[in-house]
Amino acid sequence: MIHDIITEQAKFFADGMQSVMRGHENRTRRVMLLKGNLVQNIRTESRGISARVTKNGYYGFSSAASYTVEDAKKVLKEATENAAFLSSHAAGSRKGYPALASGTIPPYQVIVDFEQKRIIEACRTIDAYIEKTYPDLLSRSITYTEDSQDKIIVTSDAASGHVTYPRCYIYVKMTALATLTGAPVEVTEIFGGWGSFEDNFKEVEPLFPTIDQLYQQLMEKKEGIYAEAGNKLVILGGKMAGMLAHEAVGHTVEADLVMGGSVAGPNLGKPVASELVTLIDYAHTALGKTVPLPVYLDDEGTIAKDAVLIKDGILTGYMNSRESAEYFGMEPCGNARAWDFNDEPLIRMRNTAILPGTNTLEEMIASIDDGYYLVNTSNGQADVTGEFMFGVSMGYEIKKGKLGKAILDTTVSGLAFDMLKTVDMLSDRLYWESSGFCGKKQRMPVGLAGPDMRCRITIGGK
Amino acid sequence: MNKLRELSNRVREILQAKGVEEYSFELRQIEKKELNTENTAFSLYRTVFDDEISVDVLVDGRLGSSSGSDLTDEGIEKTVENALQGAASGMADAANSIAEKQAEEVFISGTQEADMELFYTRLSELLSTVEREYPQIKVLQLIADHTKTHRLYANSNGTLFESYDGLYSVMMEYAGNDGEKTTGLSYGGASTHELTKPLIELGAFRKNLEDAVASLNLTSFEGKFEGTVIFTPDCLGMFLFMLSNNYLMSQVVMDGTSQWLDRVGEQVSSDKVTFSLKAEDERLVETEPYTADGYKAENVPVIEKGILKNQILSLYAAKKTGRPVTKNTSRSLVMEPGDKTLSEMIASVKRGLIVGGFSGGRPGVSGDFSGVAKNSFYIEDGKIKGAVNETMINGNLAKVFQNVTAVSKELCLDGSSALPYLQTEGIVISGK
Repeated sequence: MIHDIITEQAKFFADGMQSVMRGHENRTRRVMLLKGNLVQNIRTESRGISARVTKNGYYGFSSAASYTVEDAKKVLKEATENAAFLSSHAAGSRKGYPALASGTIPPYQVIVDFEQKRIIEACRTIDAYIEKTYPDLLSRSITYTEDSQDKIIVTSDAASGHVTYPRCYIYVKMTALATLTGAPVEVTEIFGGWGSFEDNFKEVEPLFPTIDQLYQQLMEKKEGIYAEAGNKLVILGGKMAGMLAHEAVGHTVEADLVMGGSVAGPNLGKPVASELVTLIDYAHTALGKTVPLPVYLDDEGTIAKDAVLIKDGILTGYMNSRESAEYFGMEPCGNARAWDFNDEPLIRMRNTAILPGTNTLEEMIASIDDGYYLVNTSNGQADVTGEFMFGVSMGYEIKKGKLGKAILDTTVSGLAFDMLKTVDMLSDRLYWESSGFCGKKQRMPVGLAGPDMRCRITIGGK
Repeated sequence: MNKLRELSNRVREILQAKGVEEYSFELRQIEKKELNTENTAFSLYRTVFDDEISVDVLVDGRLGSSSGSDLTDEGIEKTVENALQGAASGMADAANSIAEKQAEEVFISGTQEADMELFYTRLSELLSTVEREYPQIKVLQLIADHTKTHRLYANSNGTLFESYDGLYSVMMEYAGNDGEKTTGLSYGGASTHELTKPLIELGAFRKNLEDAVASLNLTSFEGKFEGTVIFTPDCLGMFLFMLSNNYLMSQVVMDGTSQWLDRVGEQVSSDKVTFSLKAEDERLVETEPYTADGYKAENVPVIEKGILKNQILSLYAAKKTGRPVTKNTSRSLVMEPGDKTLSEMIASVKRGLIVGGFSGGRPGVSGDFSGVAKNSFYIEDGKIKGAVNETMINGNLAKVFQNVTAVSKELCLDGSSALPYLQTEGIVISGK
């Protein structure tokens, strides 16, 4: 029905303007058990219609929270008037962009809804296992999160289609008191990925062995020591390398930030990393497999393809909208995406990965006399200068080629294009992570990946 | 009768038809008109018409929550059904409850109708002022909006709150750029009810722009030392938020990991520290009229002269732990000013930093933090020597506030908070 409403409105797209209408529904489910207490039990749904109209390079956008013919007409009219307002008020410094070919995309995956009862039961089963098996914990929490987007996109001068993005995760967190400081320490494991509840959690018992490993990590971290501050030789685990790919490099090569003066601007075509490093923002398929969060069509009607950002250490491209691609003389690859029905498309990453190399993790550890293996990260941030920071939530000393004691929470930082030049070993395994949101005016689900990576980095220990 | 009042009757009818005796709900209608620039040129004009409904139902001690964007009968029915499904599958818990009846009240604030022509003029003036007076600033993006919000909260105990608010907000993202060097990103923001004066005079726009220009002059130091840090008001707001999250809010009190679990009434910080969550303060335009739990919002002292006065607890957490509920769920932070000027504070520093931003890992439950000092300046022998990059700071949240040696007379008023500069000791500062 919404498809018919939007398609009907497409007949009224104004001449001389570039128009996109989107019917868009988001759904979230969230359950949290804190020490066995159900502290969150939430179901949310939002849906609406938006229109974006471009006149002389100026965007007008409008949205309304319904799926009615009246509101479809209203938002198209409002967006058209908004574009006209800017076009008449502003100085005329902006330019339009060319039409794109239409094309076909794979059928969308139907989003299956599951009863809250099943979700809560799954969380309670995990919680009961932890409570029974590990009664000595200071605290524990089990959090189920699910979000999905369902979009119908109709454009005046590009591709149109119906796409969906379902994903769901269970976060398991355990807390104990550290021996060294007497203060709490925690560890977290995330299960799940693309698809609905049943795709990921038909049974939760198979998660228990990983939960057992997580408990062992907590016991190691409980006896953990502070990392020594300074510039160190380290192995960044695959999740850390993925965070680096996203935060420290990915953001600087988003074309809107390049236009804003990011460090990537003057470095296009130049070496920015060791020649071992190739970095790609994948659309839907990487190394022969479907990526965690596949994108086939973006919200400007661009059929998605991979954006190669660094090849063999050379900065080769940016991630673009249709407008920025025209500005930089590049091809748009489908990076313009919107989170909610009332959001306009922005340049966003999709599945950003540093490609694996040929070393094994074991030989990488054996190669370090004094350093660290930084396994897991809690969060990360970066600047347009490429200066980055990641929280390290799990890591170990490496002494004389062997793993030593676990370290307490710390932070690593550096300048991306300096630090990437120190990469001299990459493992042959790729670790994907896809549970997070990237923040940039709007939130957006993103996938990120990397191999284990030997490099030098600054650690902010004691 | 206005639309939300009519809809609230409909929601009650649907809840009662389904036999729900204990509930609360909120209805919201939001109209946002937003202008965006890209590289100092206006690029986007966005108008958003949002409808929202959120419903909590309590059935036999089991709570279900749901929200949606569809205010048709069908949409309301579905949202209620979703909440009921949550409750049916939930766990009975005596701490689940609906806030007791409050006196009915209608709250009105701000400018209800946007003057977009004047707003456009004021924003153009802001951009041209920055270009003229701060030629070494490159504005990456300006996001400015007028948001008109009509909300109605009601619950099964008879509470009914309604609020009307209209607010202009401006967020500017910029960096120092002299053609060769670029500083890291800076952000400046402010909100206002009226457009009577140039936007650049709001909040800390001018001071932050001056700092971004000064950040082009880099200095550096080697090694690490334990020194003094002066947090800017912007950065102090972030640290107060982290402090609240780690030591004071519902989750860490409920799971017992708060380091200040049973410290109410005790000295937890320097006696120079007094801060509150405000519901009414003539300097603020962004305050909440009522809380997420359904209480009329109140001014809540958190720390008074170093003494912990209140934890920040939801109704559920309060009942769960046998402590008082906090009747303020906002981030409207006000810290009382001190007796030193910023200049006097800088002059007193032997060796340390002014820290304008912090990019760090989320502090663990211990309160230990470690991260990059952003928009920061190196001080030696009472003088600012220049800006720094690739500089890390680490310490402990509780100790930051225990080791306060000065609070500035100057307060930054950005519409949502009133915060001073804060000077503290014992932070480990690591250079390149």
